[in-house]
Amino acid sequence: MPHVRKFYPGGFETEMSRREVALILGVRERDALDKIKEAHKRVMVANHPDGGGNHYIASKINEAKDMLMRKGKSGSIF
Amino acid sequence: MAGKLIANLIVMGSTIIGRAMLQAYRKALENANKTGVAHEAINNIRRASKTMTEQEARQILGVTEQSTWEEIIQRYDKLFERNATSGSFYLQSKVHRAKECLEKVYQKNKQDGTPT
Repeated sequence: MPHVRKFYPGGFETEMSRREVALILGVRERDALDKIKEAHKRVMVANHPDGGGNHYIASKINEAKDMLMRKGKSGSIF
Repeated sequence: MAGKLIANLIVMGSTIIGRAMLQAYRKALENANKTGVAHEAINNIRRASKTMTEQEARQILGVTEQSTWEEIIQRYDKLFERNATSGSFYLQSKVHRAKECLEKVYQKNKQDGTPT
């Protein structure tokens, strides 16, 4: 099957939003913490600086995880 | 006489309404700023029109100004492949856009005849 999905345009957002976080990690914002952690690990392994990845993308991934984790701890009771 | 009076009234009325509307508009804008709606909207517009800068493209692929096109392609292939198998589509997109951006830069340089 040919690849029909269109690539997202442009670069990273200047200020990371919740939407971007979910996109980077490939999860939904409301997913459980375990799932987010697992997704972070998977994406991180793929882009780790030691294994051919680079620091810029890695820092974006970590920023994304931190943001979701912070949100998960405080705020909603669900 | 009566015509003049009516005309005066109309002019006065419309200026008052105009001023009130201007104030309401300002107030609405202020409220939007407070709630972050305007901020989000501006961000959305920027996001839609934004194309990647060369600097960001180089950061994403992890190459320097001195890197050759072959090096870039090598990096790109690796990152693209990795994100296709176990990364996310969003990051894959960024890698692809970064290559696209640098491709343009390098093509232009080639036409200009400057060695890169």
